[in-house]
Amino acid sequence: MAASAPAAHPKTASRLRELVSNQTFVLFLVWIAMVVFFTAANHIFFSSDVAGNILADWGPLMLVATAETFVIISGGIDLSVGAITGLSGVVAAFAMQDMTTAGQGATLTLIVGLLVCIGVGLLVGLINALLINYARLVPFIATLVTLGAGEGLSIVFTGGAPIGGGPPQAISLSVPWLGPFSTPVLVVVAITIVCWLYLHKAKFGRYTYAFGSNSFATRAAGISTKKQITKIYMLSGLLSGLAGMFFYLRLGSGAPTTGAGLELDAIAAVVIGGAALSGGVGRLSGTIMGALILTTVTSGLIIIGVAPNWKQVVVAVLIALAVSIQALRRGEGKAS
Amino acid sequence: MTDALYEVRNISKNYGAVTALDNVSMKVRAGEIVGLVGDNGAGKSTLVKCLSGVHQPSSGEILLDGQERHWRSPHDAIQAGIETLYQESGLAPQLSVGANVFLGREEMKPGILGKLGFLAQKSMDARAHADLERVGIAVPSSNRSIAQLSGGQRQAVAIGRAVAWASKIIILDEPTNHLGARQAGEVLHVMRAARDQGLGVIFISHTLPHVLEVTDRIVVLRLGRVVKDAPTSTFDQESLLGTITGLIAD
Repeated sequence: MAASAPAAHPKTASRLRELVSNQTFVLFLVWIAMVVFFTAANHIFFSSDVAGNILADWGPLMLVATAETFVIISGGIDLSVGAITGLSGVVAAFAMQDMTTAGQGATLTLIVGLLVCIGVGLLVGLINALLINYARLVPFIATLVTLGAGEGLSIVFTGGAPIGGGPPQAISLSVPWLGPFSTPVLVVVAITIVCWLYLHKAKFGRYTYAFGSNSFATRAAGISTKKQITKIYMLSGLLSGLAGMFFYLRLGSGAPTTGAGLELDAIAAVVIGGAALSGGVGRLSGTIMGALILTTVTSGLIIIGVAPNWKQVVVAVLIALAVSIQALRRGEGKAS
Repeated sequence: MTDALYEVRNISKNYGAVTALDNVSMKVRAGEIVGLVGDNGAGKSTLVKCLSGVHQPSSGEILLDGQERHWRSPHDAIQAGIETLYQESGLAPQLSVGANVFLGREEMKPGILGKLGFLAQKSMDARAHADLERVGIAVPSSNRSIAQLSGGQRQAVAIGRAVAWASKIIILDEPTNHLGARQAGEVLHVMRAARDQGLGVIFISHTLPHVLEVTDRIVVLRLGRVVKDAPTSTFDQESLLGTITGLIAD
Protein backbone atom coordinates (compact mmCIF):
# COMPACT_ATOMS: atom_id res chain seq x y z
CA MET A 1 0.00 0.00 0.00
CA ALA A 2 2.75 2.40 0.98
CA ALA A 3 4.48 1.73 -2.34
CA SER A 4 1.48 2.90 -4.38
CA ALA A 5 1.10 6.11 -2.34
CA PRO A 6 2.66 9.22 -3.86
CA ALA A 7 6.26 8.87 -2.79
CA ALA A 8 6.90 12.08 -0.81
CA HIS A 9 5.68 11.31 2.74
CA PRO A 10 4.20 7.84 2.89
CA LYS A 11 4.77 7.71 6.63
CA THR A 12 2.96 10.97 7.28
CA ALA A 13 0.12 9.85 5.06
CA SER A 14 -0.30 6.54 6.82
CA ARG A 15 -0.10 8.21 10.19
CA LEU A 16 -2.83 10.61 9.10
CA ARG A 17 -4.96 7.71 7.91
CA GLU A 18 -4.41 5.97 11.23
CA LEU A 19 -5.47 9.10 13.11
CA VAL A 20 -8.66 9.50 11.09
CA SER A 21 -9.57 5.86 11.63
CA ASN A 22 -8.93 6.25 15.37
CA GLN A 23 -12.30 6.34 17.12
CA THR A 24 -11.04 8.39 20.06
CA PHE A 25 -9.62 11.06 17.79
CA VAL A 26 -12.82 11.29 15.75
CA LEU A 27 -14.83 11.57 18.97
CA PHE A 28 -12.50 14.29 20.16
CA LEU A 29 -13.25 16.26 16.98
CA VAL A 30 -16.99 15.68 17.49
CA TRP A 31 -16.67 16.93 21.06
CA ILE A 32 -14.79 20.07 19.96
CA ALA A 33 -17.49 20.70 17.36
CA MET A 34 -20.14 20.40 20.09
CA VAL A 35 -18.33 22.84 22.35
CA VAL A 36 -18.03 25.31 19.46
CA PHE A 37 -21.69 24.87 18.55
CA PHE A 38 -23.02 25.33 22.09
CA THR A 39 -20.74 28.31 22.67
CA ALA A 40 -21.91 29.92 19.45
CA ALA A 41 -25.51 29.34 20.50
CA ASN A 42 -24.94 30.78 23.98
CA HIS A 43 -21.58 32.18 25.05
CA ILE A 44 -22.32 31.35 28.71
CA PHE A 45 -21.57 27.73 27.80
CA PHE A 46 -17.84 28.47 27.57
CA SER A 47 -17.23 29.06 31.27
CA SER A 48 -15.57 27.40 34.21
CA ASP A 49 -18.96 27.01 35.95
CA VAL A 50 -20.46 25.04 33.10
CA ALA A 51 -17.27 23.00 32.71
CA GLY A 52 -17.46 22.24 36.45
CA ASN A 53 -21.04 21.06 36.02
CA ILE A 54 -20.18 18.89 33.05
CA LEU A 55 -17.28 17.34 34.97
CA ALA A 56 -19.49 16.73 38.00
CA ASP A 57 -21.85 14.80 35.70
CA TRP A 58 -18.92 13.14 33.97
CA GLY A 59 -17.31 11.83 37.18
CA PRO A 60 -19.85 9.18 38.23
CA LEU A 61 -20.73 8.34 34.63
CA MET A 62 -17.02 7.77 33.91
CA LEU A 63 -16.72 5.44 36.90
CA VAL A 64 -19.58 3.19 35.79
CA ALA A 65 -18.61 3.53 32.11
CA THR A 66 -15.07 2.38 32.99
CA ALA A 67 -16.62 -0.60 34.75
CA GLU A 68 -18.80 -1.27 31.73
CA THR A 69 -15.78 -1.00 29.40
CA PHE A 70 -14.02 -3.91 31.11
CA VAL A 71 -17.23 -5.94 31.18
CA ILE A 72 -18.16 -5.28 27.55
CA ILE A 73 -14.63 -5.98 26.29
CA SER A 74 -14.86 -9.32 28.12
CA GLY A 75 -17.95 -10.07 26.03
CA GLY A 76 -20.38 -9.52 28.90
CA ILE A 77 -22.70 -6.78 30.07
CA ASP A 78 -23.39 -5.36 33.52
CA LEU A 79 -26.91 -3.98 33.90
CA SER A 80 -26.53 -3.62 37.66
CA VAL A 81 -24.05 -0.71 37.75
CA GLY A 82 -26.76 1.92 38.29
CA ALA A 83 -28.50 -0.18 40.94
CA ILE A 84 -25.17 -0.66 42.75
CA THR A 85 -24.58 3.09 42.61
CA GLY A 86 -27.96 3.74 44.21
CA LEU A 87 -27.79 0.94 46.78
CA SER A 88 -24.26 1.72 47.94
CA GLY A 89 -25.11 5.41 48.30
CA VAL A 90 -28.17 4.57 50.36
CA VAL A 91 -26.45 2.07 52.66
CA ALA A 92 -23.50 4.43 53.15
CA ALA A 93 -25.92 7.29 53.85
CA PHE A 94 -27.52 5.29 56.69
CA ALA A 95 -24.09 4.51 58.15
CA MET A 96 -22.98 8.14 57.93
CA GLN A 97 -26.28 9.36 59.41
CA ASP A 98 -25.83 7.03 62.39
CA MET A 99 -22.23 8.07 62.93
CA THR A 100 -23.04 11.76 62.69
CA THR A 101 -25.92 11.36 65.15
CA ALA A 102 -23.52 9.57 67.48
CA GLY A 103 -21.19 12.57 67.26
CA GLN A 104 -18.39 11.04 65.23
CA GLY A 105 -16.04 13.36 63.31
CA ALA A 106 -16.71 14.17 59.67
CA THR A 107 -13.45 12.69 58.31
CA LEU A 108 -13.90 9.32 59.95
CA THR A 109 -17.58 9.27 58.96
CA LEU A 110 -16.78 9.97 55.31
CA ILE A 111 -14.07 7.32 55.27
CA VAL A 112 -16.50 4.78 56.68
CA GLY A 113 -19.06 5.90 54.08
CA LEU A 114 -16.51 5.36 51.33
CA LEU A 115 -15.62 1.91 52.66
CA VAL A 116 -19.31 0.97 52.86
CA CYS A 117 -19.80 2.01 49.21
CA ILE A 118 -16.79 -0.07 48.20
CA GLY A 119 -18.02 -3.02 50.26
CA VAL A 120 -21.55 -2.95 48.83
CA GLY A 121 -20.12 -2.65 45.32
CA LEU A 122 -17.71 -5.56 45.75
CA LEU A 123 -20.46 -7.69 47.29
CA VAL A 124 -22.95 -7.18 44.46
CA GLY A 125 -20.14 -7.67 41.94
CA LEU A 126 -19.28 -10.96 43.63
CA ILE A 127 -22.94 -12.03 43.47
CA ASN A 128 -22.95 -11.24 39.74
CA ALA A 129 -19.82 -13.35 39.26
CA LEU A 130 -21.26 -16.26 41.25
CA LEU A 131 -24.48 -16.16 39.23
CA ILE A 132 -22.47 -16.23 36.00
CA ASN A 133 -19.84 -18.79 37.04
CA TYR A 134 -21.89 -21.23 39.07
CA ALA A 135 -25.60 -20.63 38.41
CA ARG A 136 -24.63 -20.48 34.72
CA LEU A 137 -26.69 -17.39 34.02
CA VAL A 138 -25.59 -15.29 31.06
CA PRO A 139 -24.28 -11.88 32.19
CA PHE A 140 -27.37 -10.09 30.86
CA ILE A 141 -29.70 -12.15 33.06
CA ALA A 142 -27.38 -12.32 36.08
CA THR A 143 -27.01 -8.55 36.23
CA LEU A 144 -30.69 -8.00 35.41
CA VAL A 145 -31.39 -10.00 38.57
CA THR A 146 -29.08 -7.84 40.70
CA LEU A 147 -30.37 -4.69 39.01
CA GLY A 148 -33.91 -5.55 40.12
CA ALA A 149 -32.89 -6.73 43.57
CA GLY A 150 -30.58 -3.77 44.14
CA GLU A 151 -33.13 -1.13 43.10
CA GLY A 152 -35.81 -2.91 45.11
CA LEU A 153 -33.66 -3.04 48.23
CA SER A 154 -32.78 0.65 47.94
CA ILE A 155 -36.47 1.56 47.96
CA VAL A 156 -37.29 -0.91 50.75
CA PHE A 157 -34.50 0.46 52.95
CA THR A 158 -35.39 4.11 52.40
CA GLY A 159 -39.11 4.04 51.77
CA GLY A 160 -38.25 5.95 48.61
CA ALA A 161 -36.92 9.09 50.30
CA PRO A 162 -33.34 10.39 50.18
CA ILE A 163 -31.27 9.74 53.32
CA GLY A 164 -29.46 12.80 54.59
CA GLY A 165 -28.18 13.71 58.02
CA GLY A 166 -24.55 12.93 57.27
CA PRO A 167 -21.60 15.23 57.86
CA PRO A 168 -22.38 18.68 56.41
CA GLN A 169 -18.80 18.87 55.11
CA ALA A 170 -19.64 16.28 52.46
CA ILE A 171 -21.01 18.75 49.94
CA SER A 172 -18.14 21.18 50.30
CA LEU A 173 -15.81 18.43 49.06
CA SER A 174 -17.57 18.61 45.70
CA VAL A 175 -16.77 22.29 45.14
CA PRO A 176 -14.32 22.76 42.26
CA TRP A 177 -11.02 24.21 43.39
CA LEU A 178 -8.63 23.44 40.56
CA GLY A 179 -10.32 25.32 37.72
CA PRO A 180 -13.47 23.31 37.07
CA PHE A 181 -12.07 20.25 38.87
CA SER A 182 -13.31 19.21 42.30
CA THR A 183 -11.54 16.65 44.48
CA PRO A 184 -13.95 13.82 43.57
CA VAL A 185 -13.50 14.59 39.86
CA LEU A 186 -9.72 14.54 40.26
CA VAL A 187 -10.02 11.18 42.00
CA VAL A 188 -12.07 9.88 39.06
CA VAL A 189 -9.36 11.12 36.68
CA ALA A 190 -6.73 9.25 38.70
CA ILE A 191 -8.84 6.08 38.81
CA THR A 192 -9.41 6.32 35.07
CA ILE A 193 -5.66 6.52 34.44
CA VAL A 194 -5.00 3.47 36.63
CA CYS A 195 -7.78 1.55 34.88
CA TRP A 196 -6.38 2.55 31.50
CA LEU A 197 -3.00 1.13 32.51
CA TYR A 198 -4.56 -2.11 33.74
CA LEU A 199 -6.74 -2.49 30.66
CA HIS A 200 -4.09 -1.79 28.06
CA LYS A 201 -0.73 -2.58 29.67
CA ALA A 202 -1.33 -5.30 32.24
CA LYS A 203 -2.14 -8.98 32.35
CA PHE A 204 -5.59 -8.27 33.77
CA GLY A 205 -6.56 -6.30 30.67
CA ARG A 206 -4.91 -8.81 28.36
CA TYR A 207 -7.05 -11.62 29.78
CA THR A 208 -10.13 -9.40 29.61
CA TYR A 209 -9.61 -8.90 25.87
CA ALA A 210 -8.66 -12.54 25.34
CA PHE A 211 -11.81 -13.81 27.06
CA GLY A 212 -14.02 -11.46 25.06
CA SER A 213 -12.21 -12.30 21.85
CA ASN A 214 -12.27 -16.10 22.16
CA SER A 215 -13.30 -17.65 25.45
CA PHE A 216 -12.43 -21.17 24.28
CA ALA A 217 -8.90 -20.15 23.31
CA THR A 218 -8.46 -18.40 26.65
CA ARG A 219 -9.48 -21.51 28.58
CA ALA A 220 -7.39 -23.72 26.31
CA ALA A 221 -4.37 -21.52 27.01
CA GLY A 222 -4.69 -22.59 30.63
CA ILE A 223 -6.23 -19.37 31.95
CA SER A 224 -8.89 -19.63 34.66
CA THR A 225 -11.81 -17.87 33.05
CA LYS A 226 -13.92 -18.12 36.21
CA LYS A 227 -11.32 -16.19 38.16
CA GLN A 228 -11.16 -13.58 35.42
CA ILE A 229 -14.96 -13.17 35.36
CA THR A 230 -15.00 -12.80 39.14
CA LYS A 231 -12.34 -10.09 39.01
CA ILE A 232 -14.06 -8.20 36.20
CA TYR A 233 -17.51 -8.12 37.83
CA MET A 234 -16.07 -7.26 41.25
CA LEU A 235 -14.13 -4.40 39.67
CA SER A 236 -17.37 -3.29 38.04
CA GLY A 237 -19.13 -3.39 41.42
CA LEU A 238 -16.27 -1.52 43.09
CA LEU A 239 -16.33 1.32 40.55
CA SER A 240 -20.13 1.52 40.73
CA GLY A 241 -19.91 1.74 44.52
CA LEU A 242 -17.46 4.62 44.15
CA ALA A 243 -19.99 6.31 41.88
CA GLY A 244 -22.47 5.97 44.76
CA MET A 245 -20.07 7.86 47.03
CA PHE A 246 -19.51 10.48 44.32
CA PHE A 247 -23.24 11.19 44.17
CA TYR A 248 -23.45 11.31 47.96
CA LEU A 249 -20.75 13.96 48.09
CA ARG A 250 -22.50 15.94 45.39
CA LEU A 251 -26.02 15.76 46.81
CA GLY A 252 -25.30 15.40 50.52
CA SER A 253 -27.67 12.48 50.66
CA GLY A 254 -28.16 8.97 49.33
CA ALA A 255 -31.30 8.57 47.25
CA PRO A 256 -32.67 5.24 45.99
CA THR A 257 -33.27 6.72 42.54
CA THR A 258 -29.73 8.08 42.14
CA GLY A 259 -28.40 5.45 39.81
CA ALA A 260 -31.61 4.75 37.92
CA GLY A 261 -30.88 4.45 34.22
CA LEU A 262 -27.17 5.07 34.75
CA GLU A 263 -26.37 1.68 33.21
CA LEU A 264 -27.86 2.79 29.89
CA ASP A 265 -25.76 5.97 29.82
CA ALA A 266 -22.70 3.89 30.69
CA ILE A 267 -23.37 1.39 27.92
CA ALA A 268 -24.01 4.30 25.53
CA ALA A 269 -20.67 5.89 26.47
CA VAL A 270 -18.84 2.61 25.90
CA VAL A 271 -20.52 1.89 22.58
CA ILE A 272 -20.01 5.45 21.32
CA GLY A 273 -16.40 5.00 22.41
CA GLY A 274 -15.99 2.18 19.91
CA ALA A 275 -16.39 -1.01 21.92
CA ALA A 276 -18.30 -3.90 20.40
CA LEU A 277 -20.93 -5.71 22.47
CA SER A 278 -19.63 -8.94 20.95
CA GLY A 279 -16.47 -8.50 23.01
CA GLY A 280 -12.73 -8.25 22.40
CA VAL A 281 -12.90 -4.69 21.03
CA GLY A 282 -12.76 -1.29 22.71
CA ARG A 283 -10.49 1.34 24.24
CA LEU A 284 -10.90 3.18 27.50
CA SER A 285 -9.90 6.41 25.74
CA GLY A 286 -13.00 5.97 23.56
CA THR A 287 -15.17 5.58 26.64
CA ILE A 288 -13.67 8.73 28.17
CA MET A 289 -14.73 10.69 25.09
CA GLY A 290 -18.08 8.91 24.94
CA ALA A 291 -18.88 9.89 28.53
CA LEU A 292 -17.64 13.45 27.96
CA ILE A 293 -19.80 13.82 24.85
CA LEU A 294 -22.91 12.56 26.68
CA THR A 295 -22.48 14.92 29.60
CA THR A 296 -21.59 17.84 27.32
CA VAL A 297 -24.76 17.29 25.30
CA THR A 298 -26.85 17.24 28.47
CA SER A 299 -25.50 20.54 29.77
CA GLY A 300 -25.35 22.13 26.34
CA LEU A 301 -28.98 21.46 25.49
CA ILE A 302 -30.12 22.92 28.81
CA ILE A 303 -28.03 26.06 28.31
CA ILE A 304 -29.23 26.73 24.78
CA GLY A 305 -32.78 26.26 26.03
CA VAL A 306 -33.72 23.00 24.38
CA ALA A 307 -36.00 20.71 26.39
CA PRO A 308 -33.74 18.22 28.22
CA ASN A 309 -35.68 15.26 26.82
CA TRP A 310 -34.05 15.98 23.48
CA LYS A 311 -30.88 14.60 25.05
CA GLN A 312 -32.23 11.06 24.63
CA VAL A 313 -32.78 11.71 20.93
CA VAL A 314 -29.29 13.13 20.45
CA VAL A 315 -27.77 10.19 22.33
CA ALA A 316 -29.74 7.75 20.21
CA VAL A 317 -28.45 9.36 17.02
CA LEU A 318 -24.88 9.31 18.36
CA ILE A 319 -25.10 5.60 19.17
CA ALA A 320 -26.48 4.78 15.74
CA LEU A 321 -23.73 6.82 14.05
CA ALA A 322 -20.90 5.41 16.15
CA VAL A 323 -21.93 1.81 15.64
CA SER A 324 -22.63 2.11 11.92
CA ILE A 325 -19.30 3.85 11.31
CA GLN A 326 -17.64 0.92 13.07
CA ALA A 327 -19.55 -1.65 11.04
CA LEU A 328 -18.76 0.15 7.80
CA ARG A 329 -15.09 0.32 8.69
CA ARG A 330 -15.02 -3.39 9.48
CA GLY A 331 -16.70 -4.15 6.16
CA GLU A 332 -14.08 -2.04 4.40
CA GLY A 333 -11.33 -3.94 6.17
CA LYS A 334 -12.77 -7.22 4.99
CA ALA A 335 -13.08 -6.12 1.40
CA SER A 336 -9.43 -5.08 1.11
CA MET B 1 5.46 -50.94 26.38
CA THR B 2 7.83 -48.81 28.35
CA ASP B 3 9.10 -46.57 25.59
CA ALA B 4 5.86 -44.61 25.23
CA LEU B 5 6.22 -40.90 25.98
CA TYR B 6 2.49 -40.27 26.21
CA GLU B 7 -0.09 -42.98 26.52
CA VAL B 8 -3.76 -43.53 27.25
CA ARG B 9 -4.93 -46.90 28.52
CA ASN B 10 -8.53 -48.07 28.23
CA ILE B 11 -10.07 -44.64 28.49
CA SER B 12 -13.78 -44.14 28.01
CA LYS B 13 -15.80 -40.96 27.87
CA ASN B 14 -19.54 -40.82 28.25
CA TYR B 15 -21.80 -37.84 27.76
CA GLY B 16 -24.90 -38.97 29.59
CA ALA B 17 -26.02 -42.07 27.74
CA VAL B 18 -23.76 -41.40 24.75
CA THR B 19 -20.40 -43.18 24.70
CA ALA B 20 -17.97 -41.02 22.74
CA LEU B 21 -14.89 -43.10 23.59
CA ASP B 22 -15.03 -46.78 24.42
CA ASN B 23 -11.96 -48.36 25.99
CA VAL B 24 -9.45 -46.52 23.85
CA SER B 25 -5.71 -47.16 24.19
CA MET B 26 -3.00 -45.44 22.18
CA LYS B 27 0.51 -44.14 22.64
CA VAL B 28 3.12 -41.93 21.06
CA ARG B 29 6.88 -42.22 21.46
CA ALA B 30 9.40 -39.42 21.51
CA GLY B 31 10.42 -38.54 17.95
CA GLU B 32 7.35 -40.16 16.44
CA ILE B 33 4.39 -38.81 14.51
CA VAL B 34 1.22 -40.76 15.13
CA GLY B 35 -1.74 -40.20 12.83
CA LEU B 36 -5.19 -40.32 14.39
CA VAL B 37 -7.88 -40.86 11.79
CA GLY B 38 -11.54 -41.75 11.69
CA ASP B 39 -14.83 -40.69 10.22
CA ASN B 40 -16.91 -37.85 11.66
CA GLY B 41 -18.20 -38.89 15.06
CA ALA B 42 -15.49 -41.52 15.50
CA GLY B 43 -14.36 -39.77 18.69
CA LYS B 44 -11.19 -38.03 17.48
CA SER B 45 -12.02 -34.64 18.93
CA THR B 46 -13.15 -36.14 22.22
CA LEU B 47 -9.89 -38.07 22.45
CA VAL B 48 -7.93 -34.90 21.69
CA LYS B 49 -9.77 -33.07 24.47
CA CYS B 50 -8.97 -35.86 26.93
CA LEU B 51 -5.32 -35.79 25.87
CA SER B 52 -5.12 -32.02 26.29
CA GLY B 53 -6.96 -31.78 29.60
CA VAL B 54 -10.10 -30.01 28.31
CA HIS B 55 -12.19 -33.07 29.21
CA GLN B 56 -11.59 -35.66 31.89
CA PRO B 57 -12.15 -39.27 30.76
CA SER B 58 -14.94 -41.14 32.56
CA SER B 59 -12.55 -44.03 33.15
CA GLY B 60 -9.07 -45.21 32.18
CA GLU B 61 -5.53 -43.99 32.65
CA ILE B 62 -3.40 -41.25 31.13
CA LEU B 63 0.38 -41.72 31.41
CA LEU B 64 3.16 -39.28 30.63
CA ASP B 65 6.70 -40.66 30.82
CA GLY B 66 5.23 -43.82 32.31
CA GLN B 67 3.60 -41.99 35.20
CA GLU B 68 -0.12 -41.77 35.65
CA ARG B 69 -1.43 -38.22 35.37
CA HIS B 70 -4.79 -36.55 35.93
CA TRP B 71 -5.40 -33.33 34.06
CA ARG B 72 -7.93 -31.21 35.90
CA SER B 73 -7.71 -28.50 33.25
CA PRO B 74 -5.74 -27.62 30.09
CA HIS B 75 -3.44 -25.69 32.41
CA ASP B 76 -2.16 -28.94 33.96
CA ALA B 77 -1.39 -30.52 30.60
CA ILE B 78 0.30 -27.37 29.32
CA GLN B 79 2.45 -27.25 32.44
CA ALA B 80 3.51 -30.83 31.77
CA GLY B 81 4.72 -29.93 28.27
CA ILE B 82 1.71 -30.90 26.18
CA GLU B 83 0.63 -28.37 23.57
CA THR B 84 -2.55 -28.67 21.56
CA LEU B 85 -3.72 -27.05 18.38
CA TYR B 86 -7.49 -27.28 18.37
CA GLN B 87 -9.75 -27.56 15.40
CA GLU B 88 -11.74 -24.67 16.83
CA SER B 89 -9.58 -21.63 16.64
CA GLY B 90 -7.23 -21.50 19.60
CA LEU B 91 -6.35 -17.90 18.86
CA ALA B 92 -7.94 -14.68 20.06
CA PRO B 93 -8.50 -12.78 16.79
CA GLN B 94 -8.50 -9.29 18.34
CA LEU B 95 -5.18 -9.81 20.07
CA SER B 96 -1.80 -9.38 18.42
CA VAL B 97 0.39 -12.21 17.21
CA GLY B 98 2.74 -11.66 20.14
CA ALA B 99 -0.12 -11.62 22.66
CA ASN B 100 -1.46 -14.88 21.26
CA VAL B 101 1.88 -16.66 21.28
CA PHE B 102 2.28 -15.71 24.94
CA LEU B 103 -1.38 -16.12 25.97
CA GLY B 104 -1.46 -17.69 29.43
CA ARG B 105 2.34 -17.41 29.74
CA GLU B 106 2.80 -13.68 29.74
CA GLU B 107 6.17 -12.24 30.46
CA MET B 108 6.00 -9.52 33.08
CA LYS B 109 7.98 -6.33 33.33
CA PRO B 110 10.96 -6.61 35.68
CA GLY B 111 10.70 -5.41 39.26
CA ILE B 112 7.78 -3.73 40.95
CA LEU B 113 5.86 -3.03 37.71
CA GLY B 114 5.81 -6.72 36.93
CA LYS B 115 4.57 -7.51 40.43
CA LEU B 116 1.79 -5.00 39.86
CA GLY B 117 0.74 -6.99 36.79
CA PHE B 118 2.27 -5.03 33.92
CA LEU B 119 3.38 -6.83 30.77
CA ALA B 120 6.75 -6.78 29.03
CA GLN B 121 5.08 -6.35 25.63
CA LYS B 122 8.13 -5.39 23.56
CA SER B 123 10.14 -8.30 24.85
CA MET B 124 7.24 -10.69 24.16
CA ASP B 125 6.80 -9.35 20.63
CA ALA B 126 10.48 -9.84 19.90
CA ARG B 127 10.55 -13.33 21.39
CA ALA B 128 7.34 -14.33 19.61
CA HIS B 129 8.90 -13.26 16.33
CA ALA B 130 12.08 -15.19 17.07
CA ASP B 131 10.16 -18.29 18.20
CA LEU B 132 8.02 -18.35 15.08
CA GLU B 133 11.08 -17.90 12.85
CA ARG B 134 12.90 -20.69 14.65
CA VAL B 135 9.97 -22.98 13.96
CA GLY B 136 10.17 -21.96 10.32
CA ILE B 137 7.13 -19.73 10.14
CA ALA B 138 7.27 -16.29 8.60
CA VAL B 139 4.75 -13.91 10.13
CA PRO B 140 4.70 -10.27 9.04
CA SER B 141 4.78 -8.54 12.42
CA SER B 142 4.23 -9.54 16.02
CA ASN B 143 2.06 -6.56 16.82
CA ARG B 144 -0.47 -7.19 14.06
CA SER B 145 -3.76 -8.58 15.27
CA ILE B 146 -4.68 -12.11 14.25
CA ALA B 147 -7.80 -10.78 12.51
CA GLN B 148 -5.54 -8.99 10.02
CA LEU B 149 -3.82 -12.22 8.93
CA SER B 150 -4.85 -14.66 6.22
CA GLY B 151 -6.19 -18.08 7.16
CA GLY B 152 -2.84 -19.69 6.38
CA GLN B 153 -0.93 -17.17 8.45
CA ARG B 154 -3.30 -17.65 11.39
CA GLN B 155 -2.80 -21.38 11.28
CA ALA B 156 0.94 -20.83 11.06
CA VAL B 157 0.86 -18.73 14.23
CA ALA B 158 -1.22 -21.34 16.04
CA ILE B 159 1.15 -24.12 15.06
CA GLY B 160 4.20 -22.00 15.74
CA ARG B 161 2.91 -21.25 19.22
CA ALA B 162 2.27 -24.91 19.96
CA VAL B 163 5.68 -26.02 18.68
CA ALA B 164 7.52 -23.19 20.40
CA TRP B 165 6.08 -24.07 23.80
CA ALA B 166 5.79 -27.86 23.63
CA SER B 167 8.47 -29.64 25.57
CA LYS B 168 7.09 -33.18 25.20
CA ILE B 169 3.96 -33.62 23.15
CA ILE B 170 2.27 -31.67 20.43
CA ILE B 171 -1.28 -32.48 19.37
CA LEU B 172 -2.51 -31.04 16.09
CA ASP B 173 -6.24 -31.35 15.34
CA GLU B 174 -6.85 -30.82 11.62
CA PRO B 175 -3.96 -28.37 11.17
CA THR B 176 -4.06 -28.50 7.36
CA ASN B 177 -7.77 -27.72 7.06
CA HIS B 178 -8.61 -24.77 4.82
CA LEU B 179 -4.98 -24.45 3.73
CA GLY B 180 -3.60 -24.32 0.20
CA ALA B 181 -1.23 -27.02 -0.99
CA ARG B 182 1.90 -24.98 -0.34
CA GLN B 183 0.84 -23.93 3.17
CA ALA B 184 -0.20 -27.48 4.01
CA GLY B 185 3.26 -28.58 2.89
CA GLU B 186 4.78 -26.07 5.30
CA VAL B 187 2.66 -27.44 8.13
CA LEU B 188 3.88 -30.98 7.39
CA HIS B 189 7.43 -29.65 7.35
CA VAL B 190 6.95 -28.06 10.77
CA MET B 191 5.62 -31.36 12.10
CA ARG B 192 8.68 -33.25 10.86
CA ALA B 193 10.93 -30.64 12.43
CA ALA B 194 9.12 -31.07 15.75
CA ARG B 195 9.56 -34.85 15.53
CA ASP B 196 13.25 -34.46 14.74
CA GLN B 197 13.60 -32.36 17.89
CA GLY B 198 12.39 -35.40 19.82
CA LEU B 199 8.79 -34.33 20.46
CA GLY B 200 5.94 -36.79 20.27
CA VAL B 201 3.47 -35.60 17.64
CA ILE B 202 -0.18 -36.58 17.36
CA PHE B 203 -1.68 -35.58 14.04
CA ILE B 204 -5.44 -35.70 13.53
CA SER B 205 -6.63 -35.27 9.98
CA HIS B 206 -9.21 -36.16 7.37
CA THR B 207 -6.70 -35.57 4.61
CA LEU B 208 -5.39 -39.09 4.16
CA PRO B 209 -2.54 -38.28 1.74
CA HIS B 210 -1.08 -35.93 4.40
CA VAL B 211 -1.43 -38.61 7.05
CA LEU B 212 0.24 -41.22 4.85
CA GLU B 213 2.99 -38.80 3.90
CA VAL B 214 4.09 -37.62 7.31
CA THR B 215 3.19 -40.16 10.00
CA ASP B 216 5.14 -43.11 11.35
CA ARG B 217 2.14 -44.92 12.71
CA ILE B 218 -1.62 -44.64 12.26
CA VAL B 219 -4.38 -45.21 14.79
CA VAL B 220 -7.83 -45.66 13.29
CA LEU B 221 -10.91 -44.82 15.36
CA ARG B 222 -14.39 -45.94 14.49
CA LEU B 223 -17.49 -45.25 16.63
CA GLY B 224 -15.37 -44.49 19.67
CA ARG B 225 -13.09 -47.54 19.47
CA VAL B 226 -9.61 -48.15 18.15
CA VAL B 227 -10.02 -50.53 15.23
CA LYS B 228 -6.43 -50.50 14.00
CA ASP B 229 -3.02 -49.35 15.23
CA ALA B 230 -0.22 -50.14 12.78
CA PRO B 231 2.90 -48.66 11.12
CA THR B 232 2.08 -46.28 8.29
CA SER B 233 4.05 -48.46 5.83
CA THR B 234 1.39 -51.16 6.15
CA PHE B 235 -1.31 -48.87 4.73
CA ASP B 236 -2.05 -47.46 1.35
CA GLN B 237 -4.77 -44.92 0.70
CA GLU B 238 -7.31 -47.54 -0.24
CA SER B 239 -6.73 -49.81 2.75
CA LEU B 240 -6.68 -46.84 5.11
CA LEU B 241 -9.98 -45.55 3.75
CA GLY B 242 -11.43 -49.05 3.96
CA THR B 243 -10.38 -49.35 7.61
CA ILE B 244 -11.87 -45.96 8.47
CA THR B 245 -15.23 -46.69 6.88
CA GLY B 246 -15.32 -50.31 8.01
CA LEU B 247 -15.39 -51.73 4.51
CA ILE B 248 -12.26 -53.67 5.39
CA ALA B 249 -12.77 -56.01 8.30
CA ASP B 250 -10.71 -55.31 11.43
